[in-house]
Amino acid sequence: MSTLAGTGELLRLVLRLDRVRLPIWIAAILVFIWVSAASVIGLYPDPESIEAYVALVEGNPTLIAVEGPGIGFESPNVGVVLVNETTTWATIALSLMAVFLVVRHTRTEEDAERTELLLARQVGRHALLAASLVVVASAMVLVGALTVALLVALGLPTAGSVAVAAAFVAVGLVATSFAAVAAQVMSSARGALGMGVSFVGVAYVLRAVGDVGNEFVSWMSPIGWAHRIRAFAGEDWWVLALFLASAVVLVAAAVVLSDRRDLGSGIVAQRPGPARAPRWATSPFGLAWRLQRGSVIGWSIGLFVLGLVYGTVGRDVEQLFEDNPDFEQFLAQADGASITDTFYAFTLALGAMMACGFAISSVLRIRSEESAGRVESILATPTSRSVWAGSHLAVTVLGAAVVLAASGAGTGIGLAFSVEDPEQLPRMFGASLGYVPAVLVLAGLTMLLVGKLPRLGMVSWALLAIVLVIGLFGDLFELPQWVRNVSPIEQTPSLPAEAFRPLPFAMLVGTALVGAGVGVVALRRRDIPTT
Amino acid sequence: MQQTAAMELAVSLSAVVKTFGAVRALDGLDLEARTGEVHGFLGPNGSGKTVTIRVLLGMYRHDTGTALLLGGDPWRDAVELHRRVAYVPGDVNLWPSLTGGEVIDLLGRLQGGIDEGRRAELVERFDLDPRKRSRTYSKGNRQKVALVAALASDAELYVLDEPTAGLDPLMEAVFQDCIAELAAEGRTVLLSSHILAEVERLCDRVSIIRRGRTVQTGTLAELRHLTRTSISVETERPVTGLDELSGIHDASELEHRLEFEVDSDHLDAAIAHLGGFGIRALTSHPPTLEELFLRHYGDELADAGVGNDHTRA
Repeated sequence: MSTLAGTGELLRLVLRLDRVRLPIWIAAILVFIWVSAASVIGLYPDPESIEAYVALVEGNPTLIAVEGPGIGFESPNVGVVLVNETTTWATIALSLMAVFLVVRHTRTEEDAERTELLLARQVGRHALLAASLVVVASAMVLVGALTVALLVALGLPTAGSVAVAAAFVAVGLVATSFAAVAAQVMSSARGALGMGVSFVGVAYVLRAVGDVGNEFVSWMSPIGWAHRIRAFAGEDWWVLALFLASAVVLVAAAVVLSDRRDLGSGIVAQRPGPARAPRWATSPFGLAWRLQRGSVIGWSIGLFVLGLVYGTVGRDVEQLFEDNPDFEQFLAQADGASITDTFYAFTLALGAMMACGFAISSVLRIRSEESAGRVESILATPTSRSVWAGSHLAVTVLGAAVVLAASGAGTGIGLAFSVEDPEQLPRMFGASLGYVPAVLVLAGLTMLLVGKLPRLGMVSWALLAIVLVIGLFGDLFELPQWVRNVSPIEQTPSLPAEAFRPLPFAMLVGTALVGAGVGVVALRRRDIPTT
Repeated sequence: MQQTAAMELAVSLSAVVKTFGAVRALDGLDLEARTGEVHGFLGPNGSGKTVTIRVLLGMYRHDTGTALLLGGDPWRDAVELHRRVAYVPGDVNLWPSLTGGEVIDLLGRLQGGIDEGRRAELVERFDLDPRKRSRTYSKGNRQKVALVAALASDAELYVLDEPTAGLDPLMEAVFQDCIAELAAEGRTVLLSSHILAEVERLCDRVSIIRRGRTVQTGTLAELRHLTRTSISVETERPVTGLDELSGIHDASELEHRLEFEVDSDHLDAAIAHLGGFGIRALTSHPPTLEELFLRHYGDELADAGVGNDHTRA
């Protein structure tokens, strides 16, 4: 096993590099599970309240898509409610943790040419991959063990607690193994991260669509499997074998692929590029567009497909509405919008929250160009800091509009075909573009950080986390309205369910402009690069 | 009068201080590069060379002291001044997805346009494959990309931060030719380097900095004057009384052969003293730049524990 030589030593290195990051991930996920479990137990203390929850979810495709399919609703208990409320999001969080950590320790190290420093010693070819997988997998198992302890301490049955924790861990392990494959296939860390995050996104969408529509689709997603372990509802332990088999196959594939590629390259070989740059690419804006083009296209395709998938279940949503006229009163929003519009107001808001992710990463490009030492070459030419940063911000604005347009177009096209009403396309398209100002608020705040507190640029992802928590769990955690108003997504009238009002849009645009403006002024006054 | 003095200086820093928190990266640094000269800028790692260059290029704002680049304020007038300046960073980082040729075009056009003929000639001379993606370039090739982009632009001042790090000897020769051509055209070059042979060959004047301060500046001849000359002498009679002279170091005697070092300003007295003992043969070595360098870095090395014991810093 000489290809694993040095794994023990590298284990220590990986733990040393992650001595802050890893505990934060683990603690954040456990806090989420704990808060969810405690609030579910508090909200549903008796069979009546549990029945009410079941009735609410069963008739509501929005809740099924966001939370879960309601496995075990035929004989519900508080554990079943907990599983339905937390499984999807806990598994997504664990999967993202797996992707970020595995890529960070494998592909990113390779890109930075540190891996060759290790491989030149008594270190086997697979040692770094093995050490990374062992550390991340152990972290998953630790989260699982602590989850069991937490749930049992809160008074839930042991078997169910073990089953739900095992489901969390199992999805995390599949994501860990998939990230190992992505690190071999793609020729850069960025690419591997993109592939890994897409895997998580696809798993989420397949489960949401399958649970609302045809259950078969849910069986193609590890998150779908996680629900189908039937924790607290007569556990189906055999489902764990699906995870185990997938993880084994993926790790084996990663090992085989890593044997077939050279250090620093991907499976897809690099071909020679152009010897000359096109004229458009040699202005500051042209460069910013070139650097971000792939990201704009990638996010647009992703949100278009997500919208399309949501759009195509339009008929199911409408059917539920027609079959159960009572739901109109029960579920519709204050001003009498239909279930369909309420559902799509939610999915478009979800798309907008993801578009915030694009906007933040786009503005953080300014910071990464700085910390990667590339900005010096630009600023040593007669290019001012304002022009340089402004070019990137212009791409952010343009990109945010394109990404939201793609989300609206996907939703609109899917819905128009599903309910055979072409009018839905312009409605959804316009409604999605309504989120441009909200998304730009996140961009503006990120620019403020990049300009004023460059070392804390990554804090902007915490802002996105706040927006996501408010948007997805505002109801679950019963957050007061003033807390929800913090999120620019909440500030946006939820089109198409609500009417258009100009004032909130003007205020959001103003906030974005002030944030970005102060950020750019601060950027002009500070040392570049600030390390 | 002051105005003309300023015009003759392409680079003029005086008593410049730059701190990062508690660290004084530049501690009253002085640096003057005259228009039309190739000025060598030497100093050990971490002595503040790159910080100085970043102050000059308006990337860092210094705390106190005055800094002038081509007669202008490097912070306030950065954009206008950069039309007249070409720069090669010490650590060349390129956009991984762009090819070398694309990076040259990008930087060239941002600079305000490059000479197409010169671009083609330099790509040829540096033997650069412009079709490779930057992520696949070695350190030396990244360096070549930055060099071609800088040398192909029509600048008054070339600021080069260790430009030959990573180049092979053949390419280093090409680089030296290019700098000699720039010098012949009357352009100014500020060259930070560790390659002492390169500095000796190319530079008119040299500044040595240490811990954010300038410790020596002048022509190589002037700098040599400030240091020691090694003397090896054979005399008819044994030399006595040498240790009564001042400025004599490391004397050792082997039969009729005497070797010692003498501070350059005491050379005359030492030779006169030797004359009284009948000189048979005498060789003297002026200090090489290496010796100069080691002498000025000596304290640094001693601080780091090198030479006193064998522990590593």
